[in-house]
Amino acid sequence: MSNVAGKAYGMNVMTPLRWWTAIWQKVIFWVVVKTFPYFLKGLLTLSLIHYARWTIINRWSFPRLDKSQPKEKLTYSYMLFESNFNGSWDQYIDSFSFAIPSGLDMFWRWNIKYPKSIPLHDFYHYIRFNQVECDHYYNAYPLASANDVKSAQALYADLAAFADSSEALSDDAFAAAWQQFLADNQHSLGSMGTSPLMSTSNQLVQEHHHDDLQLAARQTQQEEA
Amino acid sequence: MTMDRALDLYDIQGNICKGYGRFGFPKARYFFLEFHQYAGARAFLQQLIPLITTAEPWSEKDHPDQSDKPQATTNIGFTYAGLSALGLPRRSLDGFPLEFRMGMKNRAGILGDEGPSDPANWDPVWQGEPVHAWLSVNGQSRQAVVDRYRQIEQLLQQSQGSVTIRPGHKGPQGSLQPWQDASAVYENGRVTPKEHFGYVDGIGNPYFAGCGNDPSRLPGRGKLTRDDGWQPLATGEFILGHIDEAREYPIAPEPHLLALNGTFMVYRKLHENVTTFNRYVDRLATDFDGSRELLMAKFSGRWPDNGAPLVLAPDDAAKAELDQQLAQLTAKAAAGDHTAATELRALKAKWIDFTYNKDRHGSRCPIGAHIRRANTRAALETEKDAFNTPSALDDRRRLLRRGLPYGGEDETPADDTEQGIIFMCIGASLERQFEFVQQQWINYSNDFHLGNDRDVLIGANNGQLTDKHIIQVNPKQGKAPFFCTHLPRMVETRGGDYFFLPGITALRMIAQGIIDPT
Amino acid sequence: MANKFGNSYGLTTLCPLINGHQQHTSFDKITRHRIQLLEENSGSPFARIPDTYFARLFILNDVFFEQGNNVARDHLQSKYLVFTSNFHGDLEPYLQGMWNNAEADVRHIWQYAVAFDKVQNAADFIRYIKRCQLTTTLFFNGSTDDSLQQQLKSLYVKQAFTEFALQHQGKPVAELRAAFKTFMQQLQIDNIETPSWQPGQTQL
Repeated sequence: MSNVAGKAYGMNVMTPLRWWTAIWQKVIFWVVVKTFPYFLKGLLTLSLIHYARWTIINRWSFPRLDKSQPKEKLTYSYMLFESNFNGSWDQYIDSFSFAIPSGLDMFWRWNIKYPKSIPLHDFYHYIRFNQVECDHYYNAYPLASANDVKSAQALYADLAAFADSSEALSDDAFAAAWQQFLADNQHSLGSMGTSPLMSTSNQLVQEHHHDDLQLAARQTQQEEA
Repeated sequence: MTMDRALDLYDIQGNICKGYGRFGFPKARYFFLEFHQYAGARAFLQQLIPLITTAEPWSEKDHPDQSDKPQATTNIGFTYAGLSALGLPRRSLDGFPLEFRMGMKNRAGILGDEGPSDPANWDPVWQGEPVHAWLSVNGQSRQAVVDRYRQIEQLLQQSQGSVTIRPGHKGPQGSLQPWQDASAVYENGRVTPKEHFGYVDGIGNPYFAGCGNDPSRLPGRGKLTRDDGWQPLATGEFILGHIDEAREYPIAPEPHLLALNGTFMVYRKLHENVTTFNRYVDRLATDFDGSRELLMAKFSGRWPDNGAPLVLAPDDAAKAELDQQLAQLTAKAAAGDHTAATELRALKAKWIDFTYNKDRHGSRCPIGAHIRRANTRAALETEKDAFNTPSALDDRRRLLRRGLPYGGEDETPADDTEQGIIFMCIGASLERQFEFVQQQWINYSNDFHLGNDRDVLIGANNGQLTDKHIIQVNPKQGKAPFFCTHLPRMVETRGGDYFFLPGITALRMIAQGIIDPT
Repeated sequence: MANKFGNSYGLTTLCPLINGHQQHTSFDKITRHRIQLLEENSGSPFARIPDTYFARLFILNDVFFEQGNNVARDHLQSKYLVFTSNFHGDLEPYLQGMWNNAEADVRHIWQYAVAFDKVQNAADFIRYIKRCQLTTTLFFNGSTDDSLQQQLKSLYVKQAFTEFALQHQGKPVAELRAAFKTFMQQLQIDNIETPSWQPGQTQL
């Protein structure tokens, strides 16, 4: 029960926009998609995100499933930003603000009271204030960053090909091919491991969780005895 | 970034703007205080203030006139507990950043201080309640250090127990010392810029606006511009009360005068396991295709003997050629050849003024080499023009390195003798600068696309197969990269804490007890 | 304006909760408590749902934003259970897999969602989620769009092969070759199911 699952942090940010500027914002995103990857080059190079998305919720399109459910009466439309990124909150916000401030400003261009990503403290405050915490966050590979997943995919494909192509080689040719294979994949051979600590607060939460599990185990033992 | 106004160097402590070693102060003594009674402690501080060395400009180190340079320097910093013991108002105390208030010991999980580096194993001076203040004396000679220390000791005696020295630094032959002595390493009676593993250290400190250093030192030390030029980093990256790279004032306590011209400093005693290091290098060198020196250089990114960067001389042949060129130019310059002297200066400038732009694969300087981790020099912008500026991800992670080696004078260095580096670094945000570099770039490698690999020299490695460093190759040459596996713990943390280094005005106000955020 | 990027899908849903309470506890509180108590990592129900890369559940109590002049004060009339998931493939098979593999958890979590009492089977569930779905405006994939099994197998291969390469540095070619052959047999690189990493695995 936190925003952290292994090497990933799950962020949810919900910010208001005027309903008509929401349309402009949609146009911006449309341009981003049509010109891909031009506007996302910075994001791709930062390479800290597994998956992220921006969803504009028109003020009239909050799901209403039954007559018993009261109708929403909203002034604004909303943008829900959701990201699965590697690193701590501060590290992520910092890196994005340093590296691609104009990109961030474009994505939040029409959001009410958006302060721009520089100076940083107002931006920090804006994100923190509009963030909604995860109650449950699941990550299929807590031990892997997006970089790990991508390099694993590259290595997998190359290794499968190498295993096939090297079978019929003479020993000398194999030795040379092996060296070339390692050289070609030298950037995919980082060691795997657990995530660095996201924060001392998260450390506490994990310790509490661990304590609770141990307590539960002891109680079960006592009951069985 | 241009300065709107010159810095008041007379209000800034001297160690912030100057690495004293470079100015001819090869000896130092660090000691730590406890305040027991705050009126007495404040009286002590008032008497100490005239001894505090400011950042006032001195003539350069090779300038013939030595008269404006003191024989010894003195600087002071406070922990959060220390400021509290001095009676700083609650509101001012609460304005300090979290990591400073917590102190280094409580940040062990972030810093990778586990196993032999666990705070439980630190020197006795760090056990129990935190120390209150750090005092440093640097001297042109050991005698100058001792003289200044005696002077301060007298002030301590006059405080009648209000202020005492907290002893407990492990020293030679199992001794416990009341202070930590440090000294440049000597070879044949001459000062060297080396540490105990044999590397030339402390090259390439950042250059910031208003620091008062010679502008010729800017290239390689500032931040990179799109046209491959260098600009000074914003003052606020290193000194509070000034605009930083995010065009805002760094997080600082109230009132303004408490923070203005002050900054934060990390003090860390890093023990060097010299036997472990030498054995590891010896063993690996037998398998490595290249000299022992090249292998060592592939760990650090610089040749151990003279600090030449690998991007300049990536193999033994290139290094031999560089050494020859260097020797010839040095001889000619000494004989009065001005052209040679100019060429020599230009060549030496390349020790600092370089990037990794033409070494994307790391075949010259490995991507995980120490200097490429600690100062990334725009290498994270792997796609051209992807970021706001080439070094956007680096400019807010720079560290002003201070400090000196310790030990190794009285006994032959081994794992169980006392030697290493007193690592000190200065920056406006401990969390954003030091802690980030330590955690993400030294003890982790995601930003370098190298998974969980760690720094060879100071990483928290444990001798496992996958505790490794990759020496990359140029894939076109058809040779495999070299894996340095089973990396042992070369360096262990033996203590340290976070200190606030106030400006002179703030120090005076703290001493008078008139800091008032009302 | 698409929920898909290659073969990866970004599902965003806002599921309204019933305004009401049971024995002094409101339904949103009960729901929040339930999702906070879900087991994490490999114990999470999402670890059983095929092809889930990432998923999250949270309660949206209200909308908040900066105070100041010239801003309206918006408030939601309902509280929403927000369920979002990043997965491989198409929506209907994914939701079918969700129902088939975690029906009890789904019923437990969505018990107090508006109109969920009418959900009796997988088809109902798919219809229900689609009614709560919002179209993603911009979906960014900074990873891969392979199947989860493929991703996990690749990670396993990366870990195992890296260790193999480290262990066999400098070995004579005959020995290397023999070891490599054995290694590849154990690795079963074409067998995507095993040996591999398990979904949500937290230890190597």
